[in-house]
Amino acid sequence: MLDEATRQRIDRTITSDRVVLFMKGNRQSPQCGFSATVVQILDELVPDYTTVDVLADPAIREGIKAYSSWPTIPQLYVGGEFVGGCDIVRELYGNGELHEKLGVAVPERRAPTLHVTPAAAGFLREAIAKSGGQALHLRIDRGFQNRAYLGPPEPGEIEATALGVTFRVDLATAQRAEGVRIDYVETEHGHDLAIENPNAPVPVRQLDPKELQRLLDERVSLHFFDVRTAEEAAIARIPGARLVDAEVAAEIERLPRDAMLVFHCHHGGRSQQAAEHFRGLGFRNVHNLVGGIDAWSQQVDPSVPRY
Amino acid sequence: MALRIASAADGVAERMAEAIRAALPGAAVEVAPRGPGHFEVSVAAEAFRGRDRVHQHRMVYAALAPLLTGDAPPVHAIDRLSTSVPEG
Repeated sequence: MLDEATRQRIDRTITSDRVVLFMKGNRQSPQCGFSATVVQILDELVPDYTTVDVLADPAIREGIKAYSSWPTIPQLYVGGEFVGGCDIVRELYGNGELHEKLGVAVPERRAPTLHVTPAAAGFLREAIAKSGGQALHLRIDRGFQNRAYLGPPEPGEIEATALGVTFRVDLATAQRAEGVRIDYVETEHGHDLAIENPNAPVPVRQLDPKELQRLLDERVSLHFFDVRTAEEAAIARIPGARLVDAEVAAEIERLPRDAMLVFHCHHGGRSQQAAEHFRGLGFRNVHNLVGGIDAWSQQVDPSVPRY
Repeated sequence: MALRIASAADGVAERMAEAIRAALPGAAVEVAPRGPGHFEVSVAAEAFRGRDRVHQHRMVYAALAPLLTGDAPPVHAIDRLSTSVPEG
């Protein structure tokens, strides 16, 4: 099953990085739910890790199963040691052992205080009663997207009860959910839960060109980036804005999270996405130039060519 | 009396449970079908005592190996495997 060449390749792979995940697909687009679950957990805990897409490499796909004596994918290795598949990773994450293996501080296991309105409590109690023994889960991901759903209990979850409704949260959610307010409101699409989170990062702020000009004139300490292509930059540039390539992006990631970041592009769309990306990484002072370089040319500096 | 319609999954789930009991005598085994070829398995066995989770899962996978391998294995995926040592 496992030839010597493949064994050696796997040997090299699992020692090439501290954390190596054999999975279907890659970190950005996992091709199976189990792989996606492990990626989500690792993303919570470590900034960088190596993934090996077994779908792209049939020798590794079969080889790793024999190598680990483990018949399924994904498989996680830390420090060259086999940790487990999806179930085990989920369990170790829930009880904090995975944090220890990865050298990450184990968060305190404390139930968050949740505020549930009577309307939301009534709706949720009824949904739980009708579900036939399912548990109610609340998840808040790294980008502070909320999800409440019914499903079987997961290992390692923490229970938080408010107004007679018990929510099961994982360790990461427990940290993010302190003080969350859950209401049941009428929306355009009918009734729905509304979840307000006081811990959510501040949104990307919109700067108009005149305001940006004032900040630049006053030499306010800020980092100004241009997320357009090099071809566009050759046509027109705003002085002081650095073009973003992979290297610059890595440099931005290393800045303190309270650094003021300003992004611009041609009309403000791409830069909004870039700003959201860095906000998602925890930056709290992120700005987007409304209307992009085109608006800058019209409102501030007509010598900048429009295109 | 309700009419019980046997499905292919029933047969496979039974074979899985038998394979696990044969490898781990005295084990309490539950196999629940979760869609075509997908199953949730939970096993409580004395043989797990003193072994870490990876070892416990390997013991179950080893028992199931014949059903998980081949060109068209009857078991496509174990959606969830939980192992435990019986209490008391």
